[in-house]
Amino acid sequence: MNELKLFSAELRRGWIQFIRYPAEAISGIFIITALFYGLFLGAKYVAGPGLQLGDRLDAIIVSYVLWTLVTFILFNTTGTLQNEAQTGTLEQLFLTPFGAPRVFLTRAIADLFIQFVLISTILILISLLTGRYLSFPPALFLPLIAVIMGAYGISFALGSLALLLKRVQQLLGVVQFALLFLMTISTESLTGSLKILGFLLPMTTGAGLLRDLMARQQPLNFTLLGFALLNGLFYFGLGLLLFRWAERETKRRGRLSGY
Amino acid sequence: MQVLEVQHLHKTYRQSGQTIAAVRDVSLTIAAQEVLAFLGPNGAGKTTTIKMVAGLILPDRGSVNIAGRNPHRDPRAIGLLGAVLEGNRNLYWRLTPEENLEYFGVLRGLSRKTARQRGRELLDRFELTHKRAATVQALSRGMQAKLAIAVSLIHRPQLLLLDEPTLGLDVEATQTVKRLVREIASEGCAILLTTHQLDIAEELSDRVAIINQGAIVAEQPTQDLIRQFSGTAYTIEVEDILDDDRISKIQHLGGFGDCVDPKIIVDQK
Ligand SMILES: Nc1ncnc2c1ncn2[C@@H]1O[C@H](COP(=O)(O)OP(=O)(O)O)[C@@H](O)[C@H]1O
Ligand SMILES: [Mg+2]
Repeated sequence: MNELKLFSAELRRGWIQFIRYPAEAISGIFIITALFYGLFLGAKYVAGPGLQLGDRLDAIIVSYVLWTLVTFILFNTTGTLQNEAQTGTLEQLFLTPFGAPRVFLTRAIADLFIQFVLISTILILISLLTGRYLSFPPALFLPLIAVIMGAYGISFALGSLALLLKRVQQLLGVVQFALLFLMTISTESLTGSLKILGFLLPMTTGAGLLRDLMARQQPLNFTLLGFALLNGLFYFGLGLLLFRWAERETKRRGRLSGY
Repeated sequence: MQVLEVQHLHKTYRQSGQTIAAVRDVSLTIAAQEVLAFLGPNGAGKTTTIKMVAGLILPDRGSVNIAGRNPHRDPRAIGLLGAVLEGNRNLYWRLTPEENLEYFGVLRGLSRKTARQRGRELLDRFELTHKRAATVQALSRGMQAKLAIAVSLIHRPQLLLLDEPTLGLDVEATQTVKRLVREIASEGCAILLTTHQLDIAEELSDRVAIINQGAIVAEQPTQDLIRQFSGTAYTIEVEDILDDDRISKIQHLGGFGDCVDPKIIVDQK
């Protein structure tokens, strides 16, 4: 009940800022879509006119859009922590009976709702540009939740670093490309001990399931879904744990607001 | 009734091989309706102390009690305090005063309805109603300062913490903030404010605690302090603003100066 109040307050706050200052979000959509289209045209040019990507292209679109989603989630919490340390509001977010982790998580989820609007726009634009349309079976929500939990886990782990170190811009750049790798490697085709590694890497199993569902029209594999959800829960828990530790450590160093 | 009880707080920072004893054995109490000014030069440990009271910096030793609750352990203690720590900066500049009040109200545990209603009352009382729908960045410095205080009161805290509340404000805004501080205290709030300006401490507080290099060197009712200085003390006007080093040397000799006004107060004894 109280969480719901907080959630709707965060949703209002995020939405107001989004519609009041839309330029940032819209230029983001534009850059991400243009980047994909550039890569798409480049690949077409290199492979020649005979290129038939078919559902492989669909799989690439799924990976790419997932990557943008996950990147949004990652930049969101670290962005909040860094920006608000600079503007001066960060400490106020710790002055709450809810406790800081709950506030940041609630805010991250509220912002995700707003981000869904942006991601949908990107997806529609990419579909229009490439002429490929993905399928959206309702079952896709299950692996999507697994991926999102993993993304929040990593987001909170990076947020812990942002709390402790304040500046993590360079690191974020590196992580973003590591994520591109995580979102695109097809654990589906791995074998043996590599397959086990695939289950351990954050979010990859869930991403593979989404490719199966949305690009290859395959039914949901519930065993893999189990692994994907466990994986998501593990990274989510790890991220929250790290965050609690970083909060305490930052309070010990007296560096919440930056000093 | 004591709203705030602080006992034997210690804080040492360790940074790149150096240790800084920022706060050394600070104890203080504040009752409802009372204003305690924490007076000292830059780097004396005022901000560190006030943030340890707010639960934002973990003390090495010592205890903080707000109406019997420990803000480092009990989340309910956080609901009993309001804090303005960075002047006008602890607001969302892209939101309006109304939206800030509502958001922070819910963050402190109120329902949306209560937050809105109290927000309207506070805007009215702080004479900001006509600006309720303008974004904070479009407000004057003084209005932002008022709003920051209004936001810190939205959940009706028993204890208000103000870190350098008049820093960077013009004369008029300083007057407004002073008036508000007195009003809020008279309505029952206990207030801990920090300042490095003697005149602010004199005008606003019931008691002054002078802190230097992390330790409280004197604590007394403001009236006594003024009497003590006005009888036997004299003021030396100096040409330039004093730096921290000089101020601490003067304090060592039993005098007092701050780094805003070019003057030194020395007790004849
Ligand atoms: N997070 C920190 N890490 C290391 N040193 C700090 C930190 N915060 C403050 N200090 C140092 O501790 C001393 C007290 O600082 P502070 O409490 O901000 O004093 P004041 O508010 O009275 O100016 C200063 O020497 C300052 O440089
Ligand atoms: Mg200070």
